[in-house]
Amino acid sequence: MSDTPPTIPSQDEVSDRVRKEVQRAYQRRIKGLDFLLAERVHVGAMEKEVVYRDGTAMLYRYLPVEDEIYRVPLMIVTPPSNKGYIFDLASGQSFVEFMLQRGYDVYILDWNSPRKDEASLDIADYVDDFIAGSIAKICEITGEEEVTLGGYCMGGVLALIYTALNSPGPVKNFVSFATPVDFTHMHLFQAWANRDHFDVDELVEELGLIPPELMLGAFDLARPANRTAGQINLWTNMWSEDFVKSYRMFDRWAAETLPVPGAYFRTQIKELMWKNALPAGELQIGGRTVDLGSITAPVLNIVAMHDHIVSHEATQPLMTQTGSSDRKEIVSKGGHVSLVAGPAALRRVWPLIDDWLAERST
Amino acid sequence: MANQEFDPFRAWQDLVQKWEIEINEWSGKMTENDQFSAMMGQATKMNLVAQKAWAERMETMLATLNMPTKSQVEDITERLDRIEDNIERMRLAMEQSGKPQARPEPSRTRKAPKKPK
Repeated sequence: MSDTPPTIPSQDEVSDRVRKEVQRAYQRRIKGLDFLLAERVHVGAMEKEVVYRDGTAMLYRYLPVEDEIYRVPLMIVTPPSNKGYIFDLASGQSFVEFMLQRGYDVYILDWNSPRKDEASLDIADYVDDFIAGSIAKICEITGEEEVTLGGYCMGGVLALIYTALNSPGPVKNFVSFATPVDFTHMHLFQAWANRDHFDVDELVEELGLIPPELMLGAFDLARPANRTAGQINLWTNMWSEDFVKSYRMFDRWAAETLPVPGAYFRTQIKELMWKNALPAGELQIGGRTVDLGSITAPVLNIVAMHDHIVSHEATQPLMTQTGSSDRKEIVSKGGHVSLVAGPAALRRVWPLIDDWLAERST
Repeated sequence: MANQEFDPFRAWQDLVQKWEIEINEWSGKMTENDQFSAMMGQATKMNLVAQKAWAERMETMLATLNMPTKSQVEDITERLDRIEDNIERMRLAMEQSGKPQARPEPSRTRKAPKKPK
C-alpha cells in the first residue's frame, strides 16, 4: 500500500473548512471562559451506598440495576493513592455502570485520605484488615461465601497478596487491571527510588504520610510532555462539550491523588521495588510468606499496550507464577487509565471482561 | 490508500502527538542512568529540607499574626474526619439493627449467556 500525495481541495471545500474553523475558534473562546469559571465537575454515574468503613477504607456497594444478578459478587480494590471514582466517572464511560447493566453485584473498596495517626498503616493492614473486612462484609450482605476479587495498579497488588495468603479461600476469581508484580520492569520508579540514592527511611520519618506531590512528580518525569500536550489538546478541542467534560473529570481525578501512609510506602519501596520480593516468593506479610503459586482461582490479567506506568512485562508473573490452570490475558490498546475509564474501554475491554467473568460468576 | 485531503486540524494534532512522543522518549533515555537517580535522590532530599524550613517559618509568622497555622487546620480536619467516621459507623450499625430492608434484593440466579457455536 503506497501513500498518495494529498489532493488539493476545491475553493468551496476550503471556504467550508475555514468557516468551520472560525466557528470552532469562536466556540473555544466562549467555552474556554466557561472552563475557567466552572465549578468542580460532578463525577459518578451510579447510585451507591457505604456498607463498610474503617479509617481510611471505605467500601461502596453500587446498587444493582437488574432483577436477576450473578451469584458471585465483584469487588474491586482501588490503589490507595487514588480515588475509586475512576471506575464510575460518568454515564457511558463507567465500568461500574457497564458491569451493573450486565448483571453483576459490584463493590468498590475506596480510600479516604489517611489521617496522621494512620501513618503506621502497612501493607499487612490493608490486606488483613481492610480487604479481609470488606470481603467479610460482602459475604454477610449477600449470603455468599465467594467473591470475584479485582484490583487496579497497587490495588491489584494488595488484592493479589490477599488472594495468595488466603488460597483456597473466598476468592473465586481474580481480575487484575494493570497490576505490577515484577517490579524490575518498573523502570522509571526504579530510577526515581534507586536504593543507592533514595533515603526512604528519612522520608518516612520526616513526613509520616507521603504527600501526593512526591508521586505526581515521578509520573511527570515518566511523561514530562503529557501535561503540556494535554493543555494543547484541551484548547484545540475546547469547542467540543464531550471532550471538555471528559478532560475535566480526568483532571479532577488526577488532582485528587491521595497521600499514602509512610509504613505502606516504605514496604512498597524496600520489599516490592528493591527486593522484588513478590515474584521471588520472599514477601512476608504478617509473618506469612506470599506464594503466588498457591493461587488456584482463575486469573484474568488485563494490561494496556501503551501503559507507561505498568508495563506488560511487569504483570507477567500473574501468567507464569500463579498456580491457577485457568489464566487469560487481555492486552488492550491505550494507556494506564484508559483500561478502567472512558468510552474506548467500554468498546474494547469491558465486553471481554464480561465474557470471561459471566461463566465464572454463577 | 485513497487520496487524502489536507486537514490542518488533523495536521496540528499529529504534530502535538509527535512532539509529545519525542519529548517522552527523550526523558525515558535521560532517566535510565545512575546520574539521574543520584540527582533525583538529592532533589527529593533538598525539597524535604526546604519544605520543612518553610513550614516552620510560616508557623511562626502565622502565630505572630494570630492566625491558624496549617498544622492547626490539619488537626481540626482530622477531628472532623473522626467525627464523620463515628457518625458513619453509627449509621451503619443502626441500619443493621432491625431496620427492614428498603429494597428487595435481586435474585442471584443469573446464568451466563450461551455463546454462539
